[in-house]
Amino acid sequence: MNQVKTYILGGYQTDFVRNWSKENKHLMAMYQEAVDGMMKEVKIDPEEIDVAHVGNFAAELYCNQGHLGAFFTHINPAFRGLPTSRHEAACASGSIAILAASAEIEAGRYDVACVLGVEQMKTVGPKEGGDYLGTAAWYELEAEGVEFPFPKLFGKLGDEYDKRYGLKYEHLAEISNINYGNARLNPNAQTRTWFMNKQHACMQDDNNAAVGGIVRISDCSQVTDGAAVLLLASEKYATEWAKRNNKQLSDIPYIKGWGHHTSPLLLTDKFEESKNHEFILPHVRSTVTDAFKRAGMADAGSIDGIETHDCFTTSEYMAIDHFGLTKPGESWKAIEEGVIALDGKCPINASGGLIGAGHPVGATGTRQVLDCFRQVTGTAGDYQIQGARNMATLNIGGSGTTSVTFVVGVD
Amino acid sequence: MARTIKKITLLGANGTMGYGSGALFARADCEVTFLARTKEKAQAGLESAQAQVRSVAVGNKVTLGSYDDDLESAVKDADLIFEAVAEDMAIKDEIFTKVDKYRKPDSIVATVSSGLSISKLAEKHSDSFKKNFLGLHYFNPPNVIVGTELIPSEYTDPELVDFLDEWCTRNQNRVMVKTANSPGFAGNRVGFKVLNEAVQLAEKFNPVYVDYLVGPYTGRAMPPLATIDLVGFDVHQAIVDNVVANVQTGSDEAIESFRMPAYMRQLIEKGALGRKTGGGFFKRIDRVPFYLDIGSGEYRPVSEVKLPQLIFREKIRQLHRIGRYCEAMQTFAAAEGEEALIAQKVIGGYIAYSFNRAGDITETITGIDMIMGMGFNWAPPSVLVDLIGLENTCRMLDRCGIEIPLLLQNAEPDKPFFNEPINIGKFFVAR
Repeated sequence: MNQVKTYILGGYQTDFVRNWSKENKHLMAMYQEAVDGMMKEVKIDPEEIDVAHVGNFAAELYCNQGHLGAFFTHINPAFRGLPTSRHEAACASGSIAILAASAEIEAGRYDVACVLGVEQMKTVGPKEGGDYLGTAAWYELEAEGVEFPFPKLFGKLGDEYDKRYGLKYEHLAEISNINYGNARLNPNAQTRTWFMNKQHACMQDDNNAAVGGIVRISDCSQVTDGAAVLLLASEKYATEWAKRNNKQLSDIPYIKGWGHHTSPLLLTDKFEESKNHEFILPHVRSTVTDAFKRAGMADAGSIDGIETHDCFTTSEYMAIDHFGLTKPGESWKAIEEGVIALDGKCPINASGGLIGAGHPVGATGTRQVLDCFRQVTGTAGDYQIQGARNMATLNIGGSGTTSVTFVVGVD
Repeated sequence: MARTIKKITLLGANGTMGYGSGALFARADCEVTFLARTKEKAQAGLESAQAQVRSVAVGNKVTLGSYDDDLESAVKDADLIFEAVAEDMAIKDEIFTKVDKYRKPDSIVATVSSGLSISKLAEKHSDSFKKNFLGLHYFNPPNVIVGTELIPSEYTDPELVDFLDEWCTRNQNRVMVKTANSPGFAGNRVGFKVLNEAVQLAEKFNPVYVDYLVGPYTGRAMPPLATIDLVGFDVHQAIVDNVVANVQTGSDEAIESFRMPAYMRQLIEKGALGRKTGGGFFKRIDRVPFYLDIGSGEYRPVSEVKLPQLIFREKIRQLHRIGRYCEAMQTFAAAEGEEALIAQKVIGGYIAYSFNRAGDITETITGIDMIMGMGFNWAPPSVLVDLIGLENTCRMLDRCGIEIPLLLQNAEPDKPFFNEPINIGKFFVAR
């Protein structure tokens, strides 16, 4: 159990529909809009923020820009001198930034931390972008010279499921259908106006071509520009802030538990390692169970909903059994029984997830935790999970390489 | 009466608005009958819809037919009959007469007309038709642009208006704006005033200069004349001429802004309609951009135009680029010089015209804001006033010789006009 708590006071997400290159915007505009938006929503002055952490995957490649922590100083004159840093763990960058910020709060170094996940990806075409994403794998061995390496890697995850337990495509299609459906209810989701249904997801034609083995276009998350920012606080500050805003401390969500593990980069190594194991990605399973243990929960039974890393439908399929919603290899049961639907027992990706809401790589971890915050504070609007008090995330970098889970809830 | 929409009949399925709207209805999981003059044309409409939303599956609940063979049976059990035939009162009347004959009593009849009078379209038909008829104006392309106008006539059942408002919001992710049945409704009334001013300015200066001065940096995704090229000169003409012909005399302080210059009329007569006929104010020849030299009627390379280096414009562009929209628009309002004044007159005119129409074409300024933001992708007038500041806005209007709207005169300082939870940053393009 966590003795010292990290509270979440709120946050802000940019509209993931936007194409910031079409707007001819610099990454700085995303910082400015996201952090200003957060300060307005949380009702906090810039002077109150003690430290800032940035999660970002590859601005060096997409935007020719590094040193991302330092851009905070340009948001507001009050941020000059602010301690800042940037964290990178591929698609898990945002969660790693949250871990770093919460560790500092728990260590008593700071009381108020701003965590910004940010990525601008539409600066380049799909092939070049696909190649940049390949650097989240072991580039030389898995991605160099491969067109769209990641769909292929996650296609292989599907193949591995098929080999060990059997896998029907219609279950993947239903995952896609649910995520797109949920995204229609989310006013910041990238695909909210797109056409999608189960029949489309089940088709294989020019509009829904196979891009990596079993993985078709409808199984893929999106290329997205966007930012999601959180404001984290110590108990001391949260108490003061609650009083100021006529709230009870007990109504403010906090990070109840976390898990964080790293597997070898190569997907073949992962499969080799797990060949006698019931879970295909055992380190991901450990990430989940660690988070539950730290939250004082036996299993997913205490969780009201999950925001998981559906970079592809196969990764959500993997998340279902790794969260323990079914026995290993039986994820399909939770899909068929409606467990993961928005009105199900444990809805997955009420926000639409990476497939529906979008996947600005470095912002996904912070976006997931922000959506959990919205669920447990009853502020998720049309995609609200009724009565949600405890939510979990799973954020993955690479082909299941770095994994982070947070349990976010109120008492 | 509990209304539902399960079956829809689409009239004019092969037109741009027809198939675009058809795809929206199919997305909402309704059975849709695509009708056109021939079944082949209806088929072509379906194929266009499938291409637009990139899915063959959009056609799974679509049936096809022609007016002659299938109108009666399709209209008979439709919950909604959606009309998207040519923008011509006589053509619409003719088809509505047939619809009125065959429709079931409570079915909804909606027109996608972008400006014809909804009352006039209704008045020749049965009382039941009148009560269940209204305008449902999607903007093109409807799968991308979510702003949508809902226009009741004086005969329309108010419950129907509320029902469709809710239905389109929920099932089609629309941002619905209720407007009065006045020429051009809200979006086109306000939008084409600005666009036609650009057409008028283009005669005096040139198209490159006008799009440079009133370009994206002033709060829009696309410069005005490039927008008209996309919309089509014929559509532009229909909208502005309709406003001039049908607005009550003396009720519009900016009516002169809607008068289309003779040069554009001549271009239309010659068949030049914009991008769809291969060239409008701009065209590309072997990928090289050319502009229309209005005096000579010739296309000349854009590179020949020497644009003035405007410090204020560059400063605003740089501020937008890093997300400092407030400073950017304050810089705009305070800029001095003849070029700045031209741009300020257009933007100031847009603000004043909008605030003068609030309560008239829409219930409040928010309706105009939302249709300009979500229909045109322009910074809503309220957003501009909030960013520039009330006092600075009034000062800018004064300098432009534009009368300050009462709503602004009586406004409380520091109280924002715009409170909708959307990213306003998207309207300010750094170009």
